[in-house]
Amino acid sequence: MAAVTTPARRARRPLGLAPTAVLLLGAVYCLFPVSWVLVAATKSPGELFTTPTLAPGTGLLDNLTELLAYRDGVFWRWLLNTVLYAGGGALLATAVAAIAGFALAKYRFPGRNLIFNLLIGGVLVPAVVLAVPQYLLFSTIGLADTYWAVLLPQMLSPYSIYLARIYATAAVPDTLLEAARLDGAGEAGLAVRIALPIMVPGLVTIFLFQFVAIWNNFLLPFIMLGDDGKFPLTVGLYTLLAAGANQPSLYNLILTGAALSIIPLIALFLSMQRYWRTDLSSGALR
Amino acid sequence: MRARPLAAAAAAIVAAGIATGCSSEPAAAPRPAETSAAAGPVTLTYWTWAPGMDKIAKVWNAAHPDITVKVSKQAGGDDASAKFLTAAKAGNPPDLVQAEYQHLPSFVAAEAVADIKAEVGASRAEFSEGLWKMVTLGTDAVYGLPQDSGPMMLFYRKDLFDKYGIAPPKTWDEYAEAARKVHKADPKVYLGTFSSKDPGSFAGLAQQAGAQWWSIDGQSWKVAVADEPTKKVADYWGGLVKEGVIDGIPYFTPEWNKALNDGRLLTWPCAVWAPGVLSANAPKGKDRWAVAPLPQWTAGEGHSGFWGGSSVAVSAKSPNKAAAARFITWLNTDPEALRLLVEEAAIYPAAGKAQAAMTKAPDYFAGQADFWQQAATAATAARGFTFGPNVGVTYNAFKDAFDQAVAKKTSFSAAVQAMQDATVADMRKSGFQLAP
Amino acid sequence: MTEPLTGAARAAGSGADTAPGPVPGPVPGPATGSPARPGRPPRPGRGDAARRGGAAPYLFLLPAVLLFTLFFAVPICYTAYLATRRIKVSGLGLGRGSRREVSAGLDNFATALADGELWAGWLRVLGYGALVLAAMLGLAVLFALLLDSATVRLARFSRIAIYLPYAVPGVAATLMWGFLYLPSLSPLRGLLDADLLGPGTVTFSMANIAVWGGVGFNMLVLYTALRAVPGELYEAARLDGGGEVRIALRIKLPLLMPAIILTTVFSIIATIQVFAEPTALRPLTNTIGSTWSPLMKVYRDAFVTGDLYSAAATSIVIAAISLVLSFGFLRVVRDRAFGEG
Repeated sequence: MAAVTTPARRARRPLGLAPTAVLLLGAVYCLFPVSWVLVAATKSPGELFTTPTLAPGTGLLDNLTELLAYRDGVFWRWLLNTVLYAGGGALLATAVAAIAGFALAKYRFPGRNLIFNLLIGGVLVPAVVLAVPQYLLFSTIGLADTYWAVLLPQMLSPYSIYLARIYATAAVPDTLLEAARLDGAGEAGLAVRIALPIMVPGLVTIFLFQFVAIWNNFLLPFIMLGDDGKFPLTVGLYTLLAAGANQPSLYNLILTGAALSIIPLIALFLSMQRYWRTDLSSGALR
Repeated sequence: MRARPLAAAAAAIVAAGIATGCSSEPAAAPRPAETSAAAGPVTLTYWTWAPGMDKIAKVWNAAHPDITVKVSKQAGGDDASAKFLTAAKAGNPPDLVQAEYQHLPSFVAAEAVADIKAEVGASRAEFSEGLWKMVTLGTDAVYGLPQDSGPMMLFYRKDLFDKYGIAPPKTWDEYAEAARKVHKADPKVYLGTFSSKDPGSFAGLAQQAGAQWWSIDGQSWKVAVADEPTKKVADYWGGLVKEGVIDGIPYFTPEWNKALNDGRLLTWPCAVWAPGVLSANAPKGKDRWAVAPLPQWTAGEGHSGFWGGSSVAVSAKSPNKAAAARFITWLNTDPEALRLLVEEAAIYPAAGKAQAAMTKAPDYFAGQADFWQQAATAATAARGFTFGPNVGVTYNAFKDAFDQAVAKKTSFSAAVQAMQDATVADMRKSGFQLAP
Repeated sequence: MTEPLTGAARAAGSGADTAPGPVPGPVPGPATGSPARPGRPPRPGRGDAARRGGAAPYLFLLPAVLLFTLFFAVPICYTAYLATRRIKVSGLGLGRGSRREVSAGLDNFATALADGELWAGWLRVLGYGALVLAAMLGLAVLFALLLDSATVRLARFSRIAIYLPYAVPGVAATLMWGFLYLPSLSPLRGLLDADLLGPGTVTFSMANIAVWGGVGFNMLVLYTALRAVPGELYEAARLDGGGEVRIALRIKLPLLMPAIILTTVFSIIATIQVFAEPTALRPLTNTIGSTWSPLMKVYRDAFVTGDLYSAAATSIVIAAISLVLSFGFLRVVRDRAFGEG
C-alpha cells in the first residue's frame, strides 16, 4: 500500500524487491487465466478454435454487437438482475451479519453459544443439498420464481456473521460502549451510532465477499427461477452454453458475456479501495 | 399455486378456479378452460430452449388474443429435465415444456405431464410411426406432440476424403478400413472419434443396429440395454479405439472443436442438426463438409437411428390443458408455424409434410443440393426405440463406464453391461415391474 | 490507545471460550500477554460491560435467526425427512398413482455408508484436500504478510489481481480451463510435456483451479485481520531492531493464528464439499467420473438420476463428516496453539 511505504521504512528493508516480486508472481498466476477470458472475448467464432490461445482476435465488436442484440438485449436485463441480486443481497446480508456479529461479540446472554454455533453450522450443509428443499419451500409460500426467492436465502451468510463477530470483537472497544451507556445511549443507538461505524472496514470486506458470491451464484437462481426475464447473468449465460442437444453452444457470446460480467466487479473493487486504507481501529494512528 | 406478479396472476388464478382468497372476484369464471378457449383469455407459460421460440409465440399471440403464450428460454441438457421435474413436484411447473424424447418417460412416470390424447390425437397422421411411438411410449395415451427429430447421417470432409483417396463408406467395415488408412497416412489425423460423453449418439448408433433398450411387455418393463445389436456396436467402436485408429476425445469440447477446425477429424456420425453445430464451431469448414447415409452393418440395408429430438408436453398441473393443446397442435402441425420453426428455431421438424417441404440446403452445405432429400431418407430409415422411465440413470452409467473404457481401452461391451446393470438395479430399487 | 486495545484483547480473549473452537478475533493481543485461556474466570469489570442490554442482543440476532430458521433449518429438516423416504413404484410406473413416496427407514443411510464408490470419493478428496489446503493457505498467508509489509510496492494491483479469479463466473471456467489444460490448445504445452488431465495429473490440475480461485479470498481475510492490528505493536519491535521478516514471523504470524485457523476450518469444509472444480473439468476428460467427489454424487443423484432421497441421505453423511473433521481439527489446534500453560 502506497500510503505506508514511507521512505523511513523502506530504508530498513532487508530483502529489496523480493517481496514485491513474489507478490507480482502471485498476481500473474491469478491473472493469467482471467486474461484468457478477456482475450477470448475478442475472438470471432472462427478464430476461437483456430488462432493461438493467447493471440487476440478481431471479433470483439461483432461479439459485443451480437451479444447486446441477442434476444432484444436480454443481456442488459440479466446484468440488471445480477446487480439487483448481488447489490441488494450483499447489502442486506452485511446488515444482518453486522448487527448479529455485534450482538454476539459484545453481549453475554443465555443461548449465545447455541445461537452462534447453529448459525455457523449452516456452512456444513452444502448449497447443492439445500437448493431443492429451498425451492419446494418457496413454492409452498408462493414465492418461487420471484426476485425474493433469490434474494432472501442469500441474506444469511454464516461466514459473514463469523467475520462480523470477529471484527466487532477486535475493533469496538468495550470502554467506548461503556462511556456511551453512561451518557444515556440506548442499546440500539449504541449499535447503530457507535459500533457499526467503527466496523465499516470489516463490513466492506463482508460486503465484497457476499457480493461476489451472489454475483457468481448459479445453482440457487437456476433452481428458483423459471422466468428467463428474472435470470441473473450466470444462469442466462448458461442457457447459451447448454443451448440444447441440437443447438450449438454460443461460445463467443458466453465468453464476451463473462468478460463483461467481470468488469463491474473490478470497478467495484477499485471503488472500494479507500475503505481498505482505513485501519480497523479507525482513527488510530498508524 | 403459481407465483407470478400479482396483476398477471389474478386472472390466471381465477380462471384456474383455485381458491386463493380471490373468491370475492366475480364468480362467473368457469372451471378450467377444458372445454374451449371461450372461457376467457389465458396465459400459458412455455419452457423451451429452442432459439427464436419467442418470435414464433408472438405470431401465435397476435392471431389468438384469447391464448397468450409466454416463452421462457431455458438451458437445455441433462439438468433441464431435473429442473422441470422439481418444478412439477413443487406444484409450480410451466404449462408447456420442451421434452426430449428420452426424458418424456421420466416426466410421465413422475406424473408431471398430462395425457392429451383427446386434444391432440387427431394429429397422429402428421407424424411417422416411429416418432409417434416416442410420445405414446407404446401405450394408449399421448403425452406430447413431436416437435423435432434427429435422424442420423454421416457427415464427412469431402476435400480430405479426396486427399486421402477414400470414398464415403457404405458399411461399417468400410468405415473401419478407411479409419486405418487415414490414420496410417497421417498419425495425427483420425477418421472419427468415439465420445464417452454423449449417450444420445451411442443410443442412435445402437438403434440403427436394431437395439431395443426398453420395451413394455404387458404390465412389465423389459430392459435390454446390453442386447446383441448394442454389444455389436460397442465392440466395433471399442476395437477401433483400442487399435488406436479412432480417437477418444469427447464431442463438443474445445479440443474437439479444434480438431474439426484443424482438419484432424474427418467424419462425424451425427443427426440432421449437425450443420448448426459445425457452422458455429468450425465456420471455415463451410462447403468442405458433405453428407452421406450412415454406413450399414450389412451391405444394401438402409437403416438409421435418432440422436436428439424433442416433443412438447403439457404439464399435468396446468389448468389450461385445452388451450395448451391447441397451441402445440398449431406449433407442430400448422404449415405457417412449421415454416417458422425451420427458419427461427433452426430445427428439423417432426411433421412429415414439413420435412418434405424443405428444399434449400443449409448454408454450410450449400454445395449439397440433396441435403434434405438425404435427411428425409434417413428419417424414414431411422429406427427408434421406446425409452425407459430412468434414462437419467442409464445415460449417467454410459458416461461413467465409457469414460473408463475409452481411457483404459478396455472392453466396450463390458461398459454396455454396466449400463444394463445400473439401469436394472435402479428400476428394481424403485419397484418397477421387470420382465425376466 | 492502550485502553481500547486492552478492551479489544479482553473481548477477544473472552471469545475463546464461546466460539465453537478457540477461534477468537484476530487480536489476541500479545501486548497483554498470551491469549486468555478458556475457562479463566471473568476479570472484574468485564462482566458489567458485556452483560448489559437485556433483550437487545436477542433483537439484534432476530433477523439472522429468522432467516436461518426459514432458509437453513427448515430445508435441513426437510432434507433429513427426505433421507428417510423413497419412491415406491408399482407395475410400469406410468399410470396415475403408480408412484408413491414411502418410508425407507434408515435404508438410504445404510446404502450411503456401504457405498464403496462414495468411500473411494472420500479418499480422492482427502488427497486433493491435502494439496489444496497446504498450497492455498500457504500462499494466502505469504501474500497477506507481503501485502502488509511496509516494503512492498504495487500492493493494490496485486491484491485485486489475486482476488480477481474469485470473480470469474463458473460458466466461463470450464471453457477457460479447457483452453489452458487440453493438450491441443494449451499455451503451456511447450513448457509442460504432460497430459494435464491424465489419471496421474488430474488431481493436481484440479487442485490448481481451487488454489487459483481461493487464494485471493483467504488472503483478504488474513490481510484484513492484519490490518486490525494496531501499528504500535510493530513499532516496539522495530525499535528493538527487528527486521520485516522477523516482525512477520515473530509477531504477525502468531497474531494471525486465530484467523489462519478460521480460514483452515472453512477451507476444510469447502474441500469436503468440493464440487465446482471437478464438475468444470469433467466434460473435458475421461478421468473424472460422476462420483469423483461425494458432493458430485449428491448432485448426480438429485439432478441427473432423479433420486432426491439418496442425495439427501448422502448429504447428511457429508455434513456429519464435515462436522467431525472441522471440530477434530479445532480440538487438535486448541491443544497445540492454546494449550500452553
